Amino acid sequence: MMEYFRKMKGDTKSPPYVGFREIFWSWIGAFIGIGAVAFLEYNLLTGTDRLMIIGSFGASAVLIYGAVRSPLAQPRNFIGGHLISAIIGVASHQLLHSHMWLASAVGVATAIAAMHATKTLHPPGGATALIAVTGSEQIHSLGYFYVIMPVGAGALIMLLVALLVNNIPKTRRYPEFWF
Amino acid sequence: MDMQECPINLSEEDILDAMKNISGYLDITTKDFREIYLVAYRQALRRIKQSLRARDIMTRSVISVKPDTSLEEVAQILAENGISGLPVTDAEGRICGMISEKDFLLHMGVQKNASFMTVVAQCLQNKGCLALPIRRKKAENIMVSPAVTVGEDAAVFEVSGILTEKNINRVPVVSQENRLVGIITRSDIVSSSCAIGQETGI
Repeated sequence: MMEYFRKMKGDTKSPPYVGFREIFWSWIGAFIGIGAVAFLEYNLLTGTDRLMIIGSFGASAVLIYGAVRSPLAQPRNFIGGHLISAIIGVASHQLLHSHMWLASAVGVATAIAAMHATKTLHPPGGATALIAVTGSEQIHSLGYFYVIMPVGAGALIMLLVALLVNNIPKTRRYPEFWF
Repeated sequence: MDMQECPINLSEEDILDAMKNISGYLDITTKDFREIYLVAYRQALRRIKQSLRARDIMTRSVISVKPDTSLEEVAQILAENGISGLPVTDAEGRICGMISEKDFLLHMGVQKNASFMTVVAQCLQNKGCLALPIRRKKAENIMVSPAVTVGEDAAVFEVSGILTEKNINRVPVVSQENRLVGIITRSDIVSSSCAIGQETGI
């Protein structure tokens, strides 16, 4: 029992700060990546019922532009995690929308389990699943098309930007692995 | 065993310094790194231990004598080749025993755990030739028999354990038919551990 509470204290230190260059390139990558997707959303798709951007892309940007070495940020996880979670999110909403709290919980929990099982764990995937359940009428009306757009298309654009920008500085490379 | 424990003692500062020297954000805590390092290190050690075998490090051209070789000749062979011990084999190359400097000293009437310097001291005191008691004897009279042997497939760490445990300096390597195929000395083991370091960059 004491061990249980002792574990809550933590027993190691926070990793060190990153250098200025790292901060600089994280900003550039995120600016261009989110900028590209947001530009499409707000300048080309306005007035249509098409969507290009969802909130979970902000979280993905942290990983693929800010923690480029992380296994969680690699293409397999980034693309795979979003697609799998999107499918599960849409399915949860369609099957359980009469109990929204249950649809939300099942969606996110199952997305995490499925990402683990497929070795595609990508934290923003949890948000992608949740957005499919709690999102607007516009998102619900997309049905499974949500998986292709905004999720698939938006993620591909962000991946392209990550490949182009993350390989500019000598001190960075992306990806560590594809699949 | 010091060699095994030493690299494991990575301090938290060592890891933090390394992480600072590597550009980019590393998504790992020092504790996790240390845990991975420890497990990987132990596994590598096990793999290296198992992969290096007696046949890989033994000397194949072994100088040996027959049981009826005179001790005069044995002493000469040891002297000429600059070695301090050798195996005794029968006509078919099977191991009968081992002879080392220690056995000469022991049978010359010098008390146990005596050294070459004991002999020098006694000679200087002019007590005559100490070799007289063994003058007409043969290899089989003073050899240690049966000899401690190892198989060709024995792992090197087992061999070094045997050398330490039996307090011997060399061990003959034998085939399944007990025929002499090589010999391993302490120095063979030392040079093989250097080879491990070079291969893995430790």
